[in-house]
Amino acid sequence: MNKKFKDIAEQALIVSTIFILFLLLFESKLVVPVWLQPVGRMHPLFLHFPIVLLLLALGMEFFRFNPANTANTFYRIFLTNFWLIGALSAAVTVIMGIFLSKETGYEGETLPWHKWTGIAVFFLAAIGYWCRTMTWYQAPVAKGLALVTTLCVVLAGHYGSVLTHGDNFITGPILKSAPVPLEEAIVFNDVIQPIFEQKCVSCHNPDKLKGELMLTDAKSILKGGKTGKLFVAGQPEISLLLQRIHLPSEDKKHMPPIGKSQLNPQEIALLSLWIKAKADFTKKVIDLPLNDSLRLIASTFLSPVEREEETFDFAAADEETIQKLTTEFRSIAPLARESPALAVNFFNKTAFTTEKIKELKEIKEQVVFLNLAKMPVKDGDISQITAFENLQKLDLNFTDITGKGLKELTSLKQLKNLSISGTKVTAKDLLAVVPNFKSLNTIVVWNTGLTIEEIRQLQKAHPRIRFIEGFKDDGKNPIKLNPPQVKNKSTVFNEPVLVQLAHPVKGVQIRFTTDGTEPDSIKSALFTNQTVIKASTNIRAKAYKEGWFGSDEVAFDFFKRTYVPDSVRLLLPLNRVHQAEGAKSFFDEKLGTFNANSPAWANNWAGVRNNDLALMAEFKKPILLSSVELRIMEETETGIFPPEAIEVWGGNSPDQLKKIAVIKPSIPTKHRTHLLQAVGGKFKPQTVSYLKIVAKPLSKMPEWHGGKGKPALLLVDEMFFN
Amino acid sequence: MEKEFLEHGLTFNRRRFLSTMSLGLGSVALGSLMIPNLLNGGEVDEAGFVPGIPHFAPKAKRVIYLFQNGAPSQFETFDYKPKLCEMVGQELPPSVRGMQRLTGMTANQASFPLAASFVDFKQYGQSGAWVSDLMPYTSKIVDDLCIVKSMYTEAINHDPALTFFQTGSQQGNRPSMGAWLSYGLGNENKNLPDFTVLLSRGIGNGQGVYSKLWSNGFLDSIHQGVQFSKGEDPVLYLRDPEGMDRAARREMLDNLSELNQLSYSEFGDPEIAAKVKQYEMAYRMQTAVPEVMDLSKEPDDIVKLYGPDCLVPGTYAANCLLARKLSENGVRFVQLYHQGWDQHGNLPFEITSQAKDVDQASAALVTDLKQRGLLDETLVIWGGEFGRTSYSQGKLTADNYGRDHHPRCFTIWMAGGGIKPGMVYGDTDEVGYNVSRNPVHVHDFQATVLHLLGLNHEKLIFKHLGRRYRLTDVSGKVVRDIIS
Repeated sequence: MNKKFKDIAEQALIVSTIFILFLLLFESKLVVPVWLQPVGRMHPLFLHFPIVLLLLALGMEFFRFNPANTANTFYRIFLTNFWLIGALSAAVTVIMGIFLSKETGYEGETLPWHKWTGIAVFFLAAIGYWCRTMTWYQAPVAKGLALVTTLCVVLAGHYGSVLTHGDNFITGPILKSAPVPLEEAIVFNDVIQPIFEQKCVSCHNPDKLKGELMLTDAKSILKGGKTGKLFVAGQPEISLLLQRIHLPSEDKKHMPPIGKSQLNPQEIALLSLWIKAKADFTKKVIDLPLNDSLRLIASTFLSPVEREEETFDFAAADEETIQKLTTEFRSIAPLARESPALAVNFFNKTAFTTEKIKELKEIKEQVVFLNLAKMPVKDGDISQITAFENLQKLDLNFTDITGKGLKELTSLKQLKNLSISGTKVTAKDLLAVVPNFKSLNTIVVWNTGLTIEEIRQLQKAHPRIRFIEGFKDDGKNPIKLNPPQVKNKSTVFNEPVLVQLAHPVKGVQIRFTTDGTEPDSIKSALFTNQTVIKASTNIRAKAYKEGWFGSDEVAFDFFKRTYVPDSVRLLLPLNRVHQAEGAKSFFDEKLGTFNANSPAWANNWAGVRNNDLALMAEFKKPILLSSVELRIMEETETGIFPPEAIEVWGGNSPDQLKKIAVIKPSIPTKHRTHLLQAVGGKFKPQTVSYLKIVAKPLSKMPEWHGGKGKPALLLVDEMFFN
Repeated sequence: MEKEFLEHGLTFNRRRFLSTMSLGLGSVALGSLMIPNLLNGGEVDEAGFVPGIPHFAPKAKRVIYLFQNGAPSQFETFDYKPKLCEMVGQELPPSVRGMQRLTGMTANQASFPLAASFVDFKQYGQSGAWVSDLMPYTSKIVDDLCIVKSMYTEAINHDPALTFFQTGSQQGNRPSMGAWLSYGLGNENKNLPDFTVLLSRGIGNGQGVYSKLWSNGFLDSIHQGVQFSKGEDPVLYLRDPEGMDRAARREMLDNLSELNQLSYSEFGDPEIAAKVKQYEMAYRMQTAVPEVMDLSKEPDDIVKLYGPDCLVPGTYAANCLLARKLSENGVRFVQLYHQGWDQHGNLPFEITSQAKDVDQASAALVTDLKQRGLLDETLVIWGGEFGRTSYSQGKLTADNYGRDHHPRCFTIWMAGGGIKPGMVYGDTDEVGYNVSRNPVHVHDFQATVLHLLGLNHEKLIFKHLGRRYRLTDVSGKVVRDIIS
């Protein structure tokens, strides 16, 4: 080669080495301009040059140090030039390849292998070119380099071909027959036998016959092997085949043996279900019931490749048009980035008119999903809907359409999914139109004029279409009502009060008692919204309705409170964690509840344990007091007890109080479920301006209690002075 | 030889060196032409992402997440362990636990007696899934469910575990799953928020939920979860003040928006723009929310389906019904929390009550979506933040025991939205302590949910404080086996 050309070529090799290093370093940020993309796409064309040139050069390099060749000047010069051109062409190929890899569609595990073996070829060639004149570069190095580089060339070529032609391109025609369409697939031939073929037949075939078992055809499968028959039809649990499969993999009898390709759970399930279904050799997959597990798993087995992203053959709508047509009550969105297909949803029925569908004619080709649920769509509007020729999914739930409109919808050739729940469509309508839908696979018909029986008949007549019937109460499984609720703002009152009970379910009867007896559906009073109470009352109520079980009982305590003090203060502190609202909490009409989930201190309960609960109340106008009650919580299990004693002190000034009464509530004698109750008592009427209440928590819990001898907790939420 | 060295030194002079180097520099310059933003930082990654449009065609359009807060025990619900019945009262074999950590609540326990489920299991449906007798309604719909028995998480206490599930990080301050979906998928119904939250509680031992769980984190605040509460004002501050009519409100908003525009043009703070959008959405919500919240028009069949509690605001059943209505109206992500599943003790009583709260309504939600043709496009998820131990916390008696937190295996179920129906995925060992097959990490679960919604979890990113954040942080693999 001319010296000048050679210099240029060598410099080009340096340039491209640095250039490639640079590209690799910043690869993640690389953006290939559109005008350069054709260069990238020439990669598959150009790559043949380096393969041929380098393989030839490497072959010659391998034998370069043979005495005959070292003496041959032509051999030497020819090889050097060939090597240089080969390395340069590899550089070009690598650069092109990097550009091409930036285009979409090149992902997955093969690409990195191809890329890095390809790059290795280039760098080996380039570094080899510069090193091969060094003194240490002798025959062994030359041979090694030639071999390694050749290997890389072969590997890069192989992975490249996998990228372009796919896996098993070469062996494909021999290995794989065309997939069987689901409609024609036979359970044994197309599902079960292929499992045997892939995982078992390599040892159980006429040539190998391990355990005297052959799994190549139905006859030999039925025959079984040395240990006996393979299976008992209908009973996978005791079938030898599955026993062997389920043995621990360390077991010598586990099949397939350790080291061989194992069955996956899906295959095991298929074998088991097939035996369970009596190991039929002739049944077709689609002859099985629609929701049969064997059918479901077999269907996925027959089409194991994930569904390709659907492609549409229409062009995308103009973005501005979509923007223009989008309103607050009509959303339009592409299914995905770069997808021309659109989904349209309508909201707010008051804003809906037929015009609103008509306006979409500019995008009639692109709309594939249309949701008109609950819109006042009438049969007359269907002609607007059928304009969306590519419609696949249509939601007409709770619209005003009838069988007439349905008939028109059959012109939608792409329609796969139709929802008409809550419409007036009848079985007769559906019988007439369903056969005319070309692509329909699911129709949702809940809450229509159809009975469950009619839907099942339709399903039978059209096994390819899934009919969704939904839930319809047949009255056979009544469930329990929930208890009534009280709607009074507060159940603490002074003036006579109208009791307000309610139940959320329409048509429920509320029965109640005020005498402490359990309410029932016959004898107890029917609640009519006219019950007025004047004194503290315990109301017990239940709800009843035809077709339901009666509710659990619920009790509401109504408390009369005649006097509310004008000011109150605590004389002794409350527990740190049971502060409630301080002294005010006893008169705020907020009843505490029992709820393990709401800690007492967040729940209106004021509590003491180590000191008395002492409260001073002042009345600006003297009151005539004859009873004091405290509403308390009792939960023996957690050590919450009623007070040992309640002292009532009264007088006309805070310094001159005298003890009016001491009330001793009853203390439980064994564990019982939690309880909310008012404790207190009546005494001779007294006129007081100042009132002191001292409630003493139980100082020693009783013998039977786990915490015996320790002080109990006292929780109070309200006090009632009458 | 010396001569050659000398010659080489003379040939390879400074001029040669510089000219060769210039070649190298030139090639770098050529390369840099193809790398935009090489020197000015670079926002290349985000450039390709258009918020509001999925990466690829989604299987699910919406999510309803029935979060069972407090961590329901898998042993009394979906993970049937007959071996525990044989071994009841025996020590958990030390070889099973090895050096794995325990919580502070049982680490000091002298013994770890294995506790069997107090309730029986049966197989249901075509899939033959085992479900406990505590879930009579759920057991009827197992053929619509994919029960994942091999979930595991990293956190061992409620708050971090819950935060991990919702935001992909235990520490908080990151956007919640609903916020990410709102960011990634955008609005379906402009009259309602993309992300709503509903709370309820059972009588079992409860754990708190905090608004950080539905936070937008560093995303625009328009993606924040909106809590709907029970009572007269489901959405706080939505009602017009007394004496103000719609027209006056409109005028006020128009004027306010002008003022906001002014300060936006001055400061350019994106929060101002978000605020304007929020005011407008609130205005539209004023009509949309009452319509959605109105349960009075639900037919009797629906009341029977969900149970009568669905008409009592604030209950789990009512929230399930509301979730259906919100989802049906285009809300992308409806997040429910039902509190009270933290059964450290008194498990049999408490879990029975908790299961009763949620069983019928959860199953009803799946059925209801199905009968409206919406299950195909709505992903329903049921599960807690971790599982519970197979040994008893506290004393094991014939009819009472408790279970401590257990992050190493637990069960959740998913339905609809492109999930394989009638499937039980993964398994745990015989004493239910570790995953034995097909483990699913929380990030794997999140990656799968995003995948079903048409989003690549590695590409749904947001750059904040110099780092690109994802819901799945730096891990997560889509569980393709459970996708139909």
